[in-house]
Amino acid sequence: MLRMILSRALFSVATVVGVGLVLFLLTRSMGDSPASIVLGADATLEEIAAFEVRHGLDRPILVQYGDWLARLVLNTDLGTSFVTGRQAGDEVSRGLLVTMELVVLAFVFALAVAIPFGVLAALHRGRWIDQISRIIAVMGLSIPGFWLGLLLIRFMSLELGWLPPGGFVALSESITGNLRTMILPAFALGVYQIAVISRMMRSSMLDVLSADHVRTARAMGLPGYKVLLYALRNALGPVVSVAALSFGYTFGWALIIEQIFSIPGLSRSLLTAISQRDFVLVQAVVFVFTLTFILCNLAADLLNVALNPRLRGASA
Amino acid sequence: MSVQADKAPRRSLGSFIASQIELVGGWSAALGALLIIVICLAALLAPWVAPFDPVATDFRARLKPPSWAHWMGTDQAGRDIMSRLIWGARASLKVSFGAAVIGTLLGVSLGLAAARFRGGIVDNLIMRTVDAIASIPLLIWAIAVIGTIGPVPIVLGPITLQNEDKLLMLIGVLYLPMMTRVTYTVASAEKMADYVKARVLQGVSQGRIMLGDVLPNCLSPIIVQVTFLIAVGLIVEAAVSFIGLGVQPPRPSWGTMLADARPYILGPEWWLSFFPGLVISLTVIGFNLLGDGLREAADPRRMAHGA
Repeated sequence: MLRMILSRALFSVATVVGVGLVLFLLTRSMGDSPASIVLGADATLEEIAAFEVRHGLDRPILVQYGDWLARLVLNTDLGTSFVTGRQAGDEVSRGLLVTMELVVLAFVFALAVAIPFGVLAALHRGRWIDQISRIIAVMGLSIPGFWLGLLLIRFMSLELGWLPPGGFVALSESITGNLRTMILPAFALGVYQIAVISRMMRSSMLDVLSADHVRTARAMGLPGYKVLLYALRNALGPVVSVAALSFGYTFGWALIIEQIFSIPGLSRSLLTAISQRDFVLVQAVVFVFTLTFILCNLAADLLNVALNPRLRGASA
Repeated sequence: MSVQADKAPRRSLGSFIASQIELVGGWSAALGALLIIVICLAALLAPWVAPFDPVATDFRARLKPPSWAHWMGTDQAGRDIMSRLIWGARASLKVSFGAAVIGTLLGVSLGLAAARFRGGIVDNLIMRTVDAIASIPLLIWAIAVIGTIGPVPIVLGPITLQNEDKLLMLIGVLYLPMMTRVTYTVASAEKMADYVKARVLQGVSQGRIMLGDVLPNCLSPIIVQVTFLIAVGLIVEAAVSFIGLGVQPPRPSWGTMLADARPYILGPEWWLSFFPGLVISLTVIGFNLLGDGLREAADPRRMAHGA
């Protein structure tokens, strides 16, 4: 068990280092050179060379990456932007808090809807509630969240005037104000997860309900709700790991939802960085996203093992 | 069984079709297939079915609501929305199909190779690389990579790579893990089957067994996976184009049309964003319904449950 956790964690670290290198190469070699951004187009070759020496850009790219990685691990320093001169880490952490709040709200909302829905659909298999949950799942998987967001703005804000059409109020300023700006985006973002998690809940519950131990429990005369609780606990295993995976995916889609609702999260940092050709910042934002995604994958993996005793003895 | 079928009373054509539909995934899959066929036909026949030129601007007809002349209204440059949707289907379908084809070709080859050398160093190398690629979040990398290279076309000798070509290649590579894993899982199980042992005893080479015997038996989960990947690709293309890093204007795509509609979202021009989103949703629903139905049809548990 411990060996397995260690080997998975080690592989995740190796992945972060490897994928980080690919990202570093992409942003550093394909983007404009920092010298031409800072010094302008009419800088002389000598000026450019001096600039590159001063910032260590003349070293081999692998050495530069090693340097970047060492600073990140030792000082949590994501680099300094050549365009704005600011620390990329500050910019990222400011945006990350907002994005994180949106993603967590969407996630909690999705769990609160998807788990009861999935259980009910499994218990009433083939009946109307099952059909409805299937239709909701297909719609949730298929309707792009950003279009749903546009529709919500039109109906909930414009026609009904219930909620603001966008913008952001910091949690520190006003909790209700913050939640009012977050309801529509969290809904638009969470619908996809409702589809994924409720379907998984349903099929996992069906598997458990048809298992022999549940039949035995019923045959021994255990009350229905107790059987249901046992079954639910067993059925949650696969759902938890799917939920952890989908948490990682939601981060990506939060980017588009933030754009729609003008929320100043990481998407704003990323898109501003792209338009200003600020590749240090692009790299920093994408790195943080990738790291979060890898951590979610690792969590999904480990939860899967922890909740499924049959996997524990399996090869690492 | 066949003897019995001969004696059975002749069924009508309608009930025959119904039974066939049930066999390949039921009515919802048929509905999905119908949606896909209609949209693909519209894209293929765009020059003939689109009522207007998708890029012709007409400033006297700006922002007109749906009418008999313009069924879905016109946009801020007076272009016919329906014609732009029909032409835009080409770009959107090209990216989603192209990415799925690249992902499938790469993924199936790697999956088969890993299954062929199962347990060896090749297997490990392939599957660990695939795990690493799987830890790349698709949407953010698509946006960041295209944003870094820039959306200008790349000219490679005789071929010009449009921005959407770059996008479809990128998505295709990021699809690789899913296709490799599906193929690997199924092919590894198939490799243990008795018919494979029989082929080995016949002296057939491993490579020929993998391609000639194992691959055909892996096709149904692969096809199901492809259907879902096309659905994902449509949404990713729309999202990236919405950000402005996909298909470049003035050429229409569903995502760019939504982006064009964005400034009008608080105005009365509901048709600008409604129809592009509706078409994206219907197409994705089509692929998801088809995939769902095919998966149910291929699932052996369906027999056990008697559903």
